[in-house]
Amino acid sequence: MNPLIKSFKTPKLWLKNNAILVTAVRNHWNKDYKPGPYPQTEEERKKAAAKYGLTPKEYDVYADDGMGYGDYPKLPRISMDSKDPFYPWDFPELKRNFNEPMHVEFDLLRDDRYDVNQKLKYSMWMQFAMFVGVVGTLGTIYLLMENVKMFHSAIPKQYPNKGKTHYTFEPLETRES
Amino acid sequence: MGNTLGFGNTFNNGFNLYFHPEVTPGPYEEPTFDPLSGFEKGRKKRVMIATEEEMRSAKIPLESRDYCAHLLLKFRDCRKENWPFPVKCHHEKHEYLNCQYDDFVLRMKEYERERRLRVKACAGA
Repeated sequence: MNPLIKSFKTPKLWLKNNAILVTAVRNHWNKDYKPGPYPQTEEERKKAAAKYGLTPKEYDVYADDGMGYGDYPKLPRISMDSKDPFYPWDFPELKRNFNEPMHVEFDLLRDDRYDVNQKLKYSMWMQFAMFVGVVGTLGTIYLLMENVKMFHSAIPKQYPNKGKTHYTFEPLETRES
Repeated sequence: MGNTLGFGNTFNNGFNLYFHPEVTPGPYEEPTFDPLSGFEKGRKKRVMIATEEEMRSAKIPLESRDYCAHLLLKFRDCRKENWPFPVKCHHEKHEYLNCQYDDFVLRMKEYERERRLRVKACAGA
């Protein structure tokens, strides 16, 4: 065999003998991270609920439309900002209890990201109306004043070397004559 | 009809130009009347002191090559001499800015002369 190809075999063997190099911690992935297949029967649903530590009543699943997450539970979308800060959480930094299933969008729902349950002080329509009100008013004033733009009451700047003579307002000296 | 360097008539000017265009000179209009008419004792000519060669070699921007350019040359020269203490050139700077101020006042006077002559011409016609 080509010695170049052979040279790839040695590190492969070496990895096989040193299992620590292929663990989940090192490679950021583990087959157990992957959710199971979409539960078809009631029995499968119960099993999956138990797997994620939920009661069958709490357990709901994302639709199997090609964009789903297998049997991963569809948890209520509650942002960390909306959770009680005074409850004795097991992990107060994440407002999360031990063994509590994590939301699929956990990275979005953290308090350093986005608050999906935010209650707006003014509704979106109100905000849009306020924007249109301010910008529209100023724009209307601008359009109305388009033909009456102000300017300084002064002639354009006088430059020499234009073949033109410019005069001051001082009278000519007439003492000599 | 006083002109000021601030916001005196600047608002009115726009309306005047729109509603009375026959007597109001626009901001880009050169004077149209004979500059010497009405001056019995004549008028002194404005003198350009800095030469074209001086300004070119000092790379004075085109828009600054006006009747105050000699003072700008002096001011820049002083800055170069005194760097890093350009504050020593406060006198030169003041002189230059005063010259620019006087230039603006002259332009305002010319504008007002033009306007009044137009009013006169309109009234006569």
